[in-house]
Amino acid sequence: MAEHSGPDSGKHKANHANANSAALLHGRAGAGTGAGGLSGGLSQPAGWQSLLSFTILFLAWLAGFSSRLFAVIRFESIIHEFDPWFNYRSTHHLASHGFYEFLNWFDERAWYPLGRIVGGTVYPGLMVTAGLIHWILNMLNITVHIRDVCVFLAPVFSGLTAISTFLLTRELWNQGAGLLAACFIAIVPGYISRSVAGSFDNEGIAIFALQFTYYLWVKSVKTGSVFWTICCCLSYFYMVSAWGGYVFIINLIPLHVFVLLLMQRYSRRVYIAYSTFYIVGLILSMQIPFVGFQPIRTSEHMAAAGVFALLQAYAFLQYLRDRLTKQEFQTLFFLGVSLAAGIVFLSVIYLTYTGEWYAKIHIPIIASVSEHQPTTWVSFFFDLHILVCTFPAGLWFCIKNINDERVFVALYAISAVYFAGVMVRLMLTLTPVVCMLSAIAFSNVFEHYLGDDMKRENPPVEDSSDEDDKRNPGNLIVTMLMLMLLMMFAVHCTWVTSNAYSSPSVVLASYNHDGTRNILDDFREAYYWLRQNTDEHARVMSWWDYGYQIAGMANRTTLVDNNTWNNSHIALVGKAMSSNETAAYEIMRSLDVDYVLIIFGGVIGYSGDDINKFLWMVRIAEGEHPKDIRESDYFTPQGEFRVDKAGSPTLLNCLMYKMSYYRFGEMQLDFRTPPGFDRTRNAEIGNKDIKFKHLEEAFTSEHWLVRIYKVKKLDNRETLDHKPRVTNIVPKQKTAVLDL
Amino acid sequence: MYGPRYLINLLLLSGVGGGEEKSFNLLAEKVEQLMEWSSRRSVIRMNGDKFRRFVKAPPRNYSVIVMFTALQPQRQCSVCRQANEEYQVLANSWRYSSAFSNKLFFTIVDYDEGADVFQQLNMNSAPTFMHFPPKGKPKRADTFDLQRIGFAAEQLAKWIADRTDVHIRVFRPPNYSGTIALALLVSLVGGLLYLRRNNLEFIYNKTGWAMAALCVVFAMTSGQMWNHIRGPPYAHKNPQNGQVSYIHGSSQAQFVAESHIILLLNAAITMGMVLLNEAATSKGDVGKRRIICLVGLGLVVFFFSFLLSIFRSKYHGYPYR
Repeated sequence: MAEHSGPDSGKHKANHANANSAALLHGRAGAGTGAGGLSGGLSQPAGWQSLLSFTILFLAWLAGFSSRLFAVIRFESIIHEFDPWFNYRSTHHLASHGFYEFLNWFDERAWYPLGRIVGGTVYPGLMVTAGLIHWILNMLNITVHIRDVCVFLAPVFSGLTAISTFLLTRELWNQGAGLLAACFIAIVPGYISRSVAGSFDNEGIAIFALQFTYYLWVKSVKTGSVFWTICCCLSYFYMVSAWGGYVFIINLIPLHVFVLLLMQRYSRRVYIAYSTFYIVGLILSMQIPFVGFQPIRTSEHMAAAGVFALLQAYAFLQYLRDRLTKQEFQTLFFLGVSLAAGIVFLSVIYLTYTGEWYAKIHIPIIASVSEHQPTTWVSFFFDLHILVCTFPAGLWFCIKNINDERVFVALYAISAVYFAGVMVRLMLTLTPVVCMLSAIAFSNVFEHYLGDDMKRENPPVEDSSDEDDKRNPGNLIVTMLMLMLLMMFAVHCTWVTSNAYSSPSVVLASYNHDGTRNILDDFREAYYWLRQNTDEHARVMSWWDYGYQIAGMANRTTLVDNNTWNNSHIALVGKAMSSNETAAYEIMRSLDVDYVLIIFGGVIGYSGDDINKFLWMVRIAEGEHPKDIRESDYFTPQGEFRVDKAGSPTLLNCLMYKMSYYRFGEMQLDFRTPPGFDRTRNAEIGNKDIKFKHLEEAFTSEHWLVRIYKVKKLDNRETLDHKPRVTNIVPKQKTAVLDL
Repeated sequence: MYGPRYLINLLLLSGVGGGEEKSFNLLAEKVEQLMEWSSRRSVIRMNGDKFRRFVKAPPRNYSVIVMFTALQPQRQCSVCRQANEEYQVLANSWRYSSAFSNKLFFTIVDYDEGADVFQQLNMNSAPTFMHFPPKGKPKRADTFDLQRIGFAAEQLAKWIADRTDVHIRVFRPPNYSGTIALALLVSLVGGLLYLRRNNLEFIYNKTGWAMAALCVVFAMTSGQMWNHIRGPPYAHKNPQNGQVSYIHGSSQAQFVAESHIILLLNAAITMGMVLLNEAATSKGDVGKRRIICLVGLGLVVFFFSFLLSIFRSKYHGYPYR
């Protein structure tokens, strides 16, 4: 909290941008009434308008970019978290070995001994984008390191997202709302959470692709031109190459078409747009190796196919109606309608079930990831602030003034809000639509209460000047209060970004009472130790959270990593961690483990360490090996999980416990606490006399955050169970020597 | 069926030895009796005598799962009833599975029929699940840990698999109530549409549709889905001083009442925004428009600051008001 008065440049810019957009509305409304409200030679309102738009979009980009730089300013230009490390490593591979080598890459350093075919199991869009930018910059003789390209990719793309949101909102409502929406999305925490500098992840570029695809889709529905639809397909292709969330698009667009049909808003434009989109988009999406034949096989894509068939049938019926008599047509129509109703029913059932499916994931490995939890209202408010309360108003205005493309935004809002409620990470897909609809609501209000200033100059006939005097102070108050709300929003956004979403989690920081800062760089210290001091082909066992980081920073072979595709392998590691040393040694020998790496936070009070995650390891291991591992063994008879003397003996002797607390009992952190006091769990540990037989401590980082153990090889010779044979032949020479 | 053939084997074997013959006969008789009962009902009801003869006394070559419970209405044990339902599901799954054999029987002892059993086993809480192995006395792990694991049929099946090596796939009779409700709703809507087929204007009523959309949005943004999945209590009553708190103290959780409050606040703010717009666009007289405008503004400002203060109370360390 001491840091909070730090660099607030983003906030000021954001305020500036918001204020500016309000000013623009001011100007626009003036231009709209044609009264020439702006002083000076306003000969060409359109010119002013585009200049203002351009300036505001540029400022929004700048504000968005700079508010994402907290982590870089406080720490350094570094890749964050876990998944980005894998993306970075693959991008590095792409940049140094070329595109084809990347597509065929078999990574033998992951999932030992299985390996991983990386080229066929990733969405390559992110890596290709970063690689391309790096290549172009190097072509221009601007030599930047690929890491810096990766770190700053997401902030740069946030500007592009702002522009595509502006374009989409302009299509839906008007330019003023578009500019507000661009400002909102540039600084809203729900999007910043996934796109700060250093978080080099798929979502960073995917939200741009999502918004841009939707913009082009709306454009193609509006115009019915094949050109726009092909552009939409290309954008969709980019989205498919970038993120698995493309499924959202391929379900939302058919839903839009379907609802348009139900509302009897069918037109040639819709027919052309959707038919082209479905066919071309399908073929393009199948070009991504990881997607392959999924679009024609899996159930997520069937709704699109169903709606395609339905649209063809509907168009055919329309054609027949022009040709046939009324009587003939009616029988045909009933046939068609019953058929269509069947398809619709199936697709609706399907849609409900996919939604339910998200909610009903109970596999422990999925339940162990905190991103897959449902969302509380606090998360909504935290990520969206005022927007969460005002966007329903925008939705209201859209439905009250419905047209083809507003149907789309309403469906977008409702489906996205449902999915965001089910799973907290899908807040990301909700954020853009919330920004657009809130912008519509605010822009509506501003337009009415700022626009009246212009009317005053040449008052309409029915308004007497008396009324005007009464109304204007009210207008001013409304405007001021609304601007105040927006200012609070900007302040909130900056605070959230600075405090919640700008920690690299690879480097930790702690603050003293006087506000000075300690950097805890234990992770990198340990990874570099591994890199420098171990054999190049050494196999490191750790819990899956750290797999990508070990591969990326230490460049060593890992057994499991964050791509959790093989549950039984993970369970085996979990079993080794939760067994006693002898049993664990057998597992580790069968997996050729050379080193074991664990995270231990008991010295500094870091709560995300392996002992706190330990129950998940036990649960996942129990799922695969119910005979050997039982969760109940790790609890006290009262059902508590404790590490002190009262803890269960199984826990106190398992490998994870022993590795975490080895020699910790000798360490007194504080005069007030006994030796071996764990600060994370606030308990004195129960087993202080830990000895290893098959392992030895290899490295412990400065604050004990990372501990690395070496797995000993088997002893050279097995000890004999009988006495060595004794012979009575005494070597003569030796005795002779001794005699001398 | 595996059972009868096994019985024949037993009878054939029973002719071998003198002393063992009697015990074999006794065993065969017991197994036959139990099989007959369980063919009639999947859960065998026992009183004290039966319990001692079939469950406690040797010889046995079968496992018995016993649920000690109190199902009489006057006992007012609602947990027992729920546990009994799950137990019945499990027993039926076993009874009608292809692996059904005479290795495992499900029985029930009600307190009002066999209070002496409860005393004998020193048991003072119901429901309790116990496993009686074929040989020897039940150990500590043969009592099901109801407090920690709960009494879902799946958990019971896991426990039984652990104790007896008999794997039961729990088969729940499909729950048709959801489907029936859906069908009812569809037919209701269809009927309504049919009744009003001459006047279908109301389908095109945008206000109705907008209301429906907003309802979905408000339900989601106030965390009703979280409530649905996590099932929190409605509100929390402090046992010491009896104070009722409607707002959960942590930002990680919420009460049902709290989410309702948030829903209303969100709705009020949205309404304020809509009213502000109405005030500017409607063609009423000026005084009315001013009032609408003021009301809208008041709604937005007042309820938003209220919402912010609730957020502040939950999110510790939030610096702004």
